[in-house]
Amino acid sequence: MSESENVEKSVEFPETDYVEDGQNKLIIKCKYCTSKILDKKSAKYITQEKDLPLMQQDKNKEGEVQSEKINQFYHVENMYTFENIGFTHTVANHKYLSCADCDAGPVGYYDMDTKHSYVALSRVEHI
Amino acid sequence: MAKKTYDLLFKLLLIGDSGVGKTCILFRFSDNHFTTTFISTIGIDFKIKTVELRGKKIKLQIWDTAGQERFHTITTSYYRGAMGIMLVYDITNEKTFDDIVKWLRNIDEHANEDVEKMILGNKCDMEEKRVVSKERGEALAKSNINIERAFSELAEAILDKTAGREADADAARIAVERRPSRAPPARACCS
Repeated sequence: MSESENVEKSVEFPETDYVEDGQNKLIIKCKYCTSKILDKKSAKYITQEKDLPLMQQDKNKEGEVQSEKINQFYHVENMYTFENIGFTHTVANHKYLSCADCDAGPVGYYDMDTKHSYVALSRVEHI
Repeated sequence: MAKKTYDLLFKLLLIGDSGVGKTCILFRFSDNHFTTTFISTIGIDFKIKTVELRGKKIKLQIWDTAGQERFHTITTSYYRGAMGIMLVYDITNEKTFDDIVKWLRNIDEHANEDVEKMILGNKCDMEEKRVVSKERGEALAKSNINIERAFSELAEAILDKTAGREADADAARIAVERRPSRAPPARACCS
């Protein structure tokens, strides 16, 4: 597989379908209970590679957090921009974001220094 | 600066004995035999919810006691800035209902005197195991309403108090601001 194919593959959500004027084109909801997380056009689309813990953790691998690399995020500068969202307790200068209604997550993370939030496109529903 | 997307911000607390299901009030994304959810391991600090009341878009920032209730005292720092408090008991556990009185005393001692209070009997789908009778519970608490509804009612009571005051650009300030003095009607009780 060539390098370019690799890059292509990592962009799971094509910008043309999900991004408009650099922002989320669609309403963002929870994948499991459809609780509304963000209004359309309320967050900035960015690409950055970040490790995000998996929603379900294998009980046999206690003490080690299983995570995956995620490249596409919505950047939310003010936490009150969220319609509905949960913030976990702080772990290593981050809070993780979860659905406010069913606690599914992490759907993203919150940086304690910048106070900015990042929602992973792959962890939410677009409507 | 980003445009303001809401009118008001209310800071609310959830209080009650541990085990009353303050967190299981909401349907949980659940654990199973082989996997555990990352979120339940770390625990939720607070939530932001949006409600619309009287044409106003209101952001609720809801804090759980995060285990502090084990010491049966919650101190001033936790209550700081709280505009509304939801007291929760478990309808299947008599003691949690009796302890509501202790929590009310704790609130009187530490919280701002005009904080809005509401008492809620939590079901957690265990109606058949109810020990605090509806009649007894209803004299004191809201029942037969779900938590969403309860938060809306609590927000509405705060809205009555804060009528006329709009959120300004610095939203964070609103959470710790409030109108001084005024007798606190314990609205949830006996209404």
